[in-house]
Formats: sequence, C-alpha cells, structure tokens
Amino acid sequence: MPTALIINYGVGNLFSISSSLRRVGFEVKIKESPEANSDLIVFPGVGSFSAVSNFLLSFSEQLNDMRKSGIKFLGVCLGLQIFFDKGTEGGDTKGLSWFSGTVDKIRANVKLPHIGWDRIYEEKKTELSEGLDGRYAYFVHSYVAYTTESYIMKSYYGIEFPAMVEKDNVVGTQFHPEKSSETGKIFLENLMRWIKR
Amino acid sequence: MTKRIIACLDVNAGRVVKGVNFLNLKDKGDPVELASKYEEEGADEIVFLDISATIEGRRTMIDVVRNTASVLSIPLTVGGGIRTLEDVSRMLSSGADKVSINTAAVENKKLIEISSNEFGAQAVVVAIDAKREMDSWSVYTKSGTYRTGLDAILWSKEVERLGSGEILLTSIDKDGTRSGFDIDLTFAVSSSVNIPVIASGGAGNMEHFYQVLSRGGADAALAAGVFHDGVIRIKDLKNYLLMKGVDVRQ
Repeated sequence: MPTALIINYGVGNLFSISSSLRRVGFEVKIKESPEANSDLIVFPGVGSFSAVSNFLLSFSEQLNDMRKSGIKFLGVCLGLQIFFDKGTEGGDTKGLSWFSGTVDKIRANVKLPHIGWDRIYEEKKTELSEGLDGRYAYFVHSYVAYTTESYIMKSYYGIEFPAMVEKDNVVGTQFHPEKSSETGKIFLENLMRWIKR
Repeated sequence: MTKRIIACLDVNAGRVVKGVNFLNLKDKGDPVELASKYEEEGADEIVFLDISATIEGRRTMIDVVRNTASVLSIPLTVGGGIRTLEDVSRMLSSGADKVSINTAAVENKKLIEISSNEFGAQAVVVAIDAKREMDSWSVYTKSGTYRTGLDAILWSKEVERLGSGEILLTSIDKDGTRSGFDIDLTFAVSSSVNIPVIASGGAGNMEHFYQVLSRGGADAALAAGVFHDGVIRIKDLKNYLLMKGVDVRQ
C-alpha cells in the first residue's frame, strides 16, 4: 500500500484530506517534518503563505533532495502556492521556487475569498487530469499563482488561473480534492495510478 | 461562479431532530447518514447546527463531526455553541471545514478576529439572525431571543472587517414560515459586503430559491425543513435553477 505523508505545519483540518487519501488506498501518516520513506508527500491547504513557507523552507534542502530522488509531491490550495517563487500573503515571502511565478491576491473585481464550486478545464492532457475536463471542483482561496509556466488545468474567477499544475514528480491543485465530491475522487484515483506508475 | 445549495441539519445529542421548540423534538435520523444522502443528491455543502442543551450533548457533537467528515467529501460547517477559540480549534481538527459563530461573535468580537487570524477567513462564518424593524433590521442572538440593538447592515460590514469569510444570514421573520426568503434583507446585506452571503430562513418552494439567488444577490441558499420533509429534492431544485438561468453545480 503506497504511503502518503501529510505535513502538519500547524493548524486546521487535516482530517478530510487524510480520509480522502485513505479512501483511494493510501496509508496515511501525519508528521511535522518530511520523511524520505514515503511515496507521496502532501502539503495540505491550511494556513497562510508566510507562515507555511517559513515552516517548509526550514526543510528546503531535504525537500529538494527528496524531489530529486523521485518522491512525488502533492500540494493542495496553499500547498500548491508554496511551489512558486514568492507569495504576498502576510508580506512578501519566498516559496520553494519549484515553479516560477508569484502568488498574489486575485486581481479582479470579485468577492473574496472565492468560495464555492467552479468548473475546471484541461489545458494539457495528462494522466492526472484524465476525466476531469469540465467538471466542478470546490475552491476556497483569495490568492492564485501568476505564472508564465504552462499548467495542466485552469479555472476562472474574474480572471483565469491555474487549477492544476504538474512538473516532473510534483502536482498541485488550487481546488480541494478532499471537498470536491466525485471530482475529487476521480483526481485522487488518478493520483494513485500516477504514484504506482 | 456557481450558486450553492446548502442543507442544514439540526443536531441534538447526536441525532438529527426537527421541532418548533425544544419540547417537541422529532427524531429525523442519523446525521452521518443524512449528510451523505444530501451529498449524493447534489448538496454543495452541509451545515450542522448543534442545538444540544446539555454538556454531554455538546461533547457528542465532536464524534458526529468526526464520523461525518470521514465519509463526506463536500464542505462541512458546524455551528451552535461555539464560544471560544478552543471550540473553534476542536471542531476544525475534528474535521469541520468552517465554524459558524453567532452569539459569541456579538459578545466577543475578538473571537472573529483571532479565529480568522489563526485558521484563515475561509474557516470563519458569522451567523447573523436579523429581524425587521421599520425600515431596517436588528440583530438578535441567543437563538433569536435577545435583541442586541445592532443594525444588521452595519454589523455585516463589521464582521467582514474583523475577518469573517462568509455571512450566514437568517431572517427571523421568515424562519419556519416557508413563505420565501427575505429578499430585501438579503439584498441589503449582500450589496453592502464583499464576502459571500448565505441566505437562510423561509424556503418553501423552488421559486423562493430562484428569487433569493437572483434578485436577493445571495451567493448561497440554505434550507432544512423542505429538504428533510421531501418537499424539495435537491436534484430537482438544481435542474429548476439551471432552467431559470442560475448557474449551479450539476
């Protein structure tokens, strides 16, 4: 059974993401630091950019080594945002720079946070986005990644933004798969196949 | 952006109940089963309102939240009796995505601010119960029994400023009447704030949902009785709303 290690960087609901990973067949551990004997490291979607990036950057060498060694990573919501160069939430803060771009408040005249269900659209066909094009996913966020890199799924809220990014062995979703009902289940099953590959 | 349909369950000592007062509570079933059933029928979110009057009843709620969160894969909000940061923390770590704070928010504004700073605005819903008085609305707490003297519009703006991520707005005049949501109240609040507003109180038929989500400017509509009694099936409601041009999740 593949193991998923959820990084607990403080506060919030880790219960839902754990349950949903278990439902698709992961053995789930929750730890305060990354461990190399995992198949998947998960950055959950709770907290603020500055707090979480400060926490994760203290392990940056370890994380970069793990990434090079082929361990896969999943970032959900804020967990995806941490992959980028920089965030502005809570003051300008460095991210992991695994993707290039800045995470900033949604620059559009819309109500924030963006809370609710919106469709996600495939930009590039991959095994992670399979079966998801046009489906509804659940979003809760005020910030998005502004990037010149390509992403595999997009969504819209006042502006277009990356809904799913993937590079090498790293995947991130701006939506919450653990809260996205059937859509989330499809994604997590894709993720499971991707892990086993 | 789709509009959300939210099913609300009143929970007393671990069971879903329905009743016009605490003396006449009818058992409506197991919260875990009912929440899952509503997810299957297309509900976008679930709200549990803990109406337990006893300490043991409140303790049971933690288990209910944990058991529900392990099977549910749509957002879960828990309200009722949330009074301290510890209460907020306990509910979120048990699997709730958001907490809804009503009386304690009025009595201790700091609770909104510290909860929002600690867990993020998205986890904090402030519930506002409002009653019409001439040409404005007054905020009530303690299950609608205590008149605070606060103006509903001003209070809405203030909770936004304090860091609330959403407002759950209930019309006391309409609640339980099934005569339709309070469109004027919902519109007045929704157009005064820049955070999502969930309309509650008065749902009786599908047209009522259409009105509050269109003319009322609500971002979501919440109901309890009409769903529990089978008067409205959520699937039918969504088909109806789509036909009327309201974007909802299918």
